[in-house]
Amino acid sequence: MAEDAKSSPASGGNFPLRIRGPREFYGGLALVALAVFALWASSDLAGMRGFSFGPGTTPRLFAWLLIAVGGGIAISGLFVDGPPLETYALRGPALVVCAIVVFAVTIRGFRFSFFGFPVRIPELGLIVATFLAYMISVLAGREIRWLESLIAGAVMTAFCVVLFRYLLQLPFPLWPAFF
Amino acid sequence: MSDLLSNLWLGFSIAGHPINLGFCLLGALVGTLVGVLPGVGTVATIAMLLPITFGLDPVGALIMLAGIYYGAQYGGSTTSILVNIPGEATSVVTCLDGHEMAKQGRAGAALAIAAIGSFFAGCVATVLVAALGQPLTRVALEFGPAEYFSLMLLGLIFAVVLAKGSVVKSIAMVLAGLLLSTVGSDLDTGAGRMTLGLPELLDGIGFTNVAMGLFGFAEIIRNLESSGANREIIEGKIKGLMPTRQDLKDSSWPIARGTVLGSILGILPGGGAVVASFASYTLEKRVAKNPKRFGHGAIEGVAGPESANNAAAQTSFIPLLTLGIPPNAVMALMVGAMTIHGIVPGPQVMTKQPDLFWGMIASMWFGNLMLIIINLPMVGIWVRLLRVPYRILFPSIIVFCCIGIYSIDNSPSDVMIAAIFGVLGYLLVKHDFEPAPLVLAFVLGPLMEDNLRRAMLIARGDMSVFVTRPISGVLIFISVTLLVLALLPMIRKRRDEVFVESEN
Repeated sequence: MAEDAKSSPASGGNFPLRIRGPREFYGGLALVALAVFALWASSDLAGMRGFSFGPGTTPRLFAWLLIAVGGGIAISGLFVDGPPLETYALRGPALVVCAIVVFAVTIRGFRFSFFGFPVRIPELGLIVATFLAYMISVLAGREIRWLESLIAGAVMTAFCVVLFRYLLQLPFPLWPAFF
Repeated sequence: MSDLLSNLWLGFSIAGHPINLGFCLLGALVGTLVGVLPGVGTVATIAMLLPITFGLDPVGALIMLAGIYYGAQYGGSTTSILVNIPGEATSVVTCLDGHEMAKQGRAGAALAIAAIGSFFAGCVATVLVAALGQPLTRVALEFGPAEYFSLMLLGLIFAVVLAKGSVVKSIAMVLAGLLLSTVGSDLDTGAGRMTLGLPELLDGIGFTNVAMGLFGFAEIIRNLESSGANREIIEGKIKGLMPTRQDLKDSSWPIARGTVLGSILGILPGGGAVVASFASYTLEKRVAKNPKRFGHGAIEGVAGPESANNAAAQTSFIPLLTLGIPPNAVMALMVGAMTIHGIVPGPQVMTKQPDLFWGMIASMWFGNLMLIIINLPMVGIWVRLLRVPYRILFPSIIVFCCIGIYSIDNSPSDVMIAAIFGVLGYLLVKHDFEPAPLVLAFVLGPLMEDNLRRAMLIARGDMSVFVTRPISGVLIFISVTLLVLALLPMIRKRRDEVFVESEN
């Protein structure tokens, strides 16, 4: 790869280095970061014992290979021209994730501690959780029509309740249970 | 031969049972629906429906799930031809010529040829699955851990070679998938690996969560970004569903070639319906007397890929049912479905559960028969579904996915993990990384590790066992050759690019 850089004087002598393929560069870098994180997370695991694998052998093997390949991609991104970074949308992904997380924490309630303060989210049950998640998802769209969405959300909620609770008889709480 | 016939008879008697026929129809209907609707993928759908199969009889459940997979291949073509948006990743290439045909007022012929091709391919593939089942099972029983490891390695290499885009990036995705698959309890020692102290991660990251995140949520996030795709539905022009004699003559060879190609690519691990349709289109273009017609409504460009994707969808059951190795993400979900019912996929399925094995195979033929009826005379109903705007559809998919994931284990953390993978999938696509090899590696990871460890133990740490055992050696040889062949043009191309650049 280093040879490639020398033989391409298009922007020769242009130092500090311009990142030529940012999509590759940052993508590869992120993979290396993931692998390094995995190495750290698996550092407590035993390795090879004689010729038998320990629990840490394969994770570390895969992590090192990923560092090599991811690093290679990142380096090639430095020297080989590639497409520019795409713009990331923020609102859409954030609201979709928000809808999913709201569903997850409200379907049966959720407890966690936030800097030592215990936080308790009440159980809202299938009906409220589904409808909430639906309406938050709606916000992620490009065009929002409130009346239509409210009706569609209600229909979808009813459909899910009938399908999952009554037809499939899955043990979901239907209504909010406060304390 | 008489063995095969009696087995098939058993299969048909099971698949022909009214209840199983009902499940088959249900699967075909859901599959068509999923196929027709763009933005709703097969993987996400099967993942969503896994919990629904809890209470069902295993044969019926698997018949239904299989129907969804090949049913989607039929439905996908309808949207491609009429709207020029692929309803399914497998019918992307059908847009090219199918939609052109529709614009020329030949939508009926295109739809009919797509369905007829799919039906022919489906029938051939059904026979193939039945015929190859027994010999492959016998081979599989000879396999030791070294052979299994090499076979899975070959599968991953295939996935890398056949994936779109850069080979190196696909390798990175495979490695990331393998790495993620090691999270959770160690098989031998029970030690929690990379769990970060979270008890939720002790069981590992659930495959359904990964698949739903990468294929379901990520897809939605991406679709929200693309400016409201104009769905210009060609309607009213669907007349004369009967193709002319000339159409049939023109498409008979492409259908045959597509079927063969699709069947082969379906069996290969790492292959599957998407690759098959692309490969078939390329092949048709290559063998055509006048390749310039392609892209301007050549019926061969519809007939070949549509036959190929359906053939591949069905033959990809072969490695799953005989070797216990899922060749693609959909089959990996089938493993999940089988495990829910306490069935371990592998060579023993055929001997221990002949009802399930042969029933499922025979159901494919019934399913194809139903699908041709669902998709041809009833095409108008499906077209009407396309009018449902995405702004109503996508929140419904999101909540349905959420409930689906939650219901598998009643676990809120699973839902959150899927959300994380949704964001990850979005970022991967933004950087031109393909999620498909990651998912396949994630599924094969634990199996590969287990077999690698066992092989090494048996060989007392001698790495050469993978090359010295004949079957394993051949598999490794093919893997290496493939990888080199795939990497060579890339290196050469890169040189060329650099060369061109330096000339400027």
